[in-house]
Amino acid sequence: MRQGEMAAVIDLNEDVHTLLPLTEHRPIGTLPFAGRYRLLDFPLSAITAADIHSVGLFMPESERSVQDHIRSGAAWNLDLIQGGVFLFPYVATRDYNDQTLRDRYYENYTQFLRGSGSKYTVVMGAKNVANVNLTVILDYHKASDLRITTVYKQLTPERIQPDDWTLSLSEQGTANSVIQAKERSGDPEGAAIPSFMDMYVLATSDLIELLEDAAMHQVFRRLPELLRDYVLANNANAFEYTGYLARIDSIPRYYLANMEMLDDASFQSLLLSNVPILTKSKNEVPSFFAKDATVLNSLLGTGTYIEGTVQDSVIFRNVVVHRDATVEHSVIMQGAKISTGSTVQYAILDKGVVIGPNLNIVGTPEKPIVLRKNQTIFRESELEVDADA
Amino acid sequence: MSTEMLGMILAGGQGTRLGKLTKNTAKPSVPFGGRYRIIDFTLSNLSNSGVNTVGVITQYQPLELNRHVQNGASWGLNERGAGVTILQPYASSEGEKFFEGTAHAIYQNMAYIDSYNPQYVLILSGDHIYKMDYERMLAFHKAKKATLTVAVMPVSMEEATRFGIMNTDDTDRIIAFEEKPEKPKSDLASMGIYIFDWAPLKKYLSDSYATDGKMEDFGKDVIPAYLAHNEPTFAYAFHGYWKDVGTIQSLWEANMEFLSPNNPLNITNRNWRIYSQTEALPPMFFTQTAKVHRSMVTDGSYVAGTVEHSILSQNVKIGAGSIVKDSMIMPNAVIGRNVTIDHAIIGEDAVVGDNGEVIGTPEDIAVVGYGEVVGRKEKA
Repeated sequence: MRQGEMAAVIDLNEDVHTLLPLTEHRPIGTLPFAGRYRLLDFPLSAITAADIHSVGLFMPESERSVQDHIRSGAAWNLDLIQGGVFLFPYVATRDYNDQTLRDRYYENYTQFLRGSGSKYTVVMGAKNVANVNLTVILDYHKASDLRITTVYKQLTPERIQPDDWTLSLSEQGTANSVIQAKERSGDPEGAAIPSFMDMYVLATSDLIELLEDAAMHQVFRRLPELLRDYVLANNANAFEYTGYLARIDSIPRYYLANMEMLDDASFQSLLLSNVPILTKSKNEVPSFFAKDATVLNSLLGTGTYIEGTVQDSVIFRNVVVHRDATVEHSVIMQGAKISTGSTVQYAILDKGVVIGPNLNIVGTPEKPIVLRKNQTIFRESELEVDADA
Repeated sequence: MSTEMLGMILAGGQGTRLGKLTKNTAKPSVPFGGRYRIIDFTLSNLSNSGVNTVGVITQYQPLELNRHVQNGASWGLNERGAGVTILQPYASSEGEKFFEGTAHAIYQNMAYIDSYNPQYVLILSGDHIYKMDYERMLAFHKAKKATLTVAVMPVSMEEATRFGIMNTDDTDRIIAFEEKPEKPKSDLASMGIYIFDWAPLKKYLSDSYATDGKMEDFGKDVIPAYLAHNEPTFAYAFHGYWKDVGTIQSLWEANMEFLSPNNPLNITNRNWRIYSQTEALPPMFFTQTAKVHRSMVTDGSYVAGTVEHSILSQNVKIGAGSIVKDSMIMPNAVIGRNVTIDHAIIGEDAVVGDNGEVIGTPEDIAVVGYGEVVGRKEKA
């Protein structure tokens, strides 16, 4: 792809309520993942690998978390002389009965798109974690007559939830609509379902036209709705992605996706395939394993200090597991500390959680215990009160 | 533009005593401690001390070193009007300007130093493992009204015979300097770290190269000349961890010391961090068969075997059934299955094939060179 031929729009306004309390102060895009990443790293890495120079980030309610991760964009080589990362403020809760505010919503997009000078635009979110090659998707788009291209992966029905967006595919393999799984009909029993990855490619001029038309209407409609209608009106190419995909939109799915990173094939497909996944680096020291440490089937970030046992778990940087402590089937985020003699099983510990000595924090595979950021647990009773809250 | 103190790192030496490890690369770029290169300690010290204008003098096999240092951004040294400049030998109308010694390298780069018009020049080596606040040394230099301050370390009297030894009076003024004395009169060893007032140093070097050209080396030529001319020359005592990693043995020892949770270097101290150029690698992965004790492991590594009292750098693979003990494995090395590695240093990108053996002893560390491929039972 010629440099600057495509611009990227990342919409970080994704529904967070099913991921509480992990999303209390962060959008889905900055959820920590697989021991060192944030979900936003995946679209940004795909963007860099495709030589895209202009990236518009449409900010969620918790903007601080995103700004703190992105900074200048240097981690993704996006601190450029021309182009770079453009941040647009959160607008979703404003009163769109006001015509000027409605206009501003659309103008943010159209100004960015015009300024990018790009011929094509890719629109993506952060909750579909994948390793996509945008150059190939653009080539696919250019080779077809249809005005818009959608990206999907075939998933078995067990991996689909009723509210998931899917594609309704024609026999020629084009998409005639984007619909929720619960609205589907006529799928043969057990057949794979084309799960939509919230990703579109279209001509920048077409996208600008779509937004300008929307601005003329009295009813306020946001970009995702406009694009779904555009597919319905025009039909779309459907590009099938075949690599690893996790859709992070609930606690069980978030937990499962982290656990899947312990599977070699999923790990390689997501983290070691054609797009190198870049993230902000923290100059952390190497991880240290003490005399009696046991570490089995686990992923670990740097700067961890392990004296106890870690098994079947994903451990982020700077986590401390003390003597005779055991962590199993858990996701332990940055800076958490598990004190001597404690057991943590089937749990998600957010950043900075401290577990006191000799406690049992035990969830189930279906319902892992989730502890919120910087929570300190010194008695098991504190845990129950909080779990009910 | 004027910079109060300019840092000059002498990173051009060949490091012959590191054998295979410096065959194709300069000593300061040799990996250390899992995710660092030796020069990171000096560059981080400069950054942490607020010395943000730095010349790195390179000469021997500089490719990897230059790539590592770049513009100094990894150490926060890329500020406007400051930054890191790589200084390499060059040809001029007066002939080729290769560097014949430490002082000669400074003389050849006088134009660079003058362009910043510094009051002081801090001369450093790129091959020491230590944490030091150069600002405090400068405060000492100013307080003593010195024109030259030499950083010194107290060593044992037996060790003193291997170093340049400074004899001082009770005001810390250096009254005599002896290179590797048989009967040392003091225990203060030079660390090869100097603060000079730039104007007099420039005059000494210029005068020398206008006449006999004998000012090649700081230890051998410049310090004796300063003492002979009664320049106010002082010794600044450093108390802390400091290790010259100039030999295979000392490089291995320093890595093993680095592993100790009680290492006085205290690498985890966030008030004096050691920075490095970092690459975004996946987290480290331990399989169902991994065993890892008293060891350090870095991102991108994959461990299926046993790692005992060893350091694994970035992107190292240890196959199932292999045992790595008392060793330092450099980045991107691949260790196959059922391999035994004991008391060894494995170079970057090296491969040790299945069932291979690389076995050294505490007195004779085995070495596999950069990119070297070792098969069965090879003795390095």
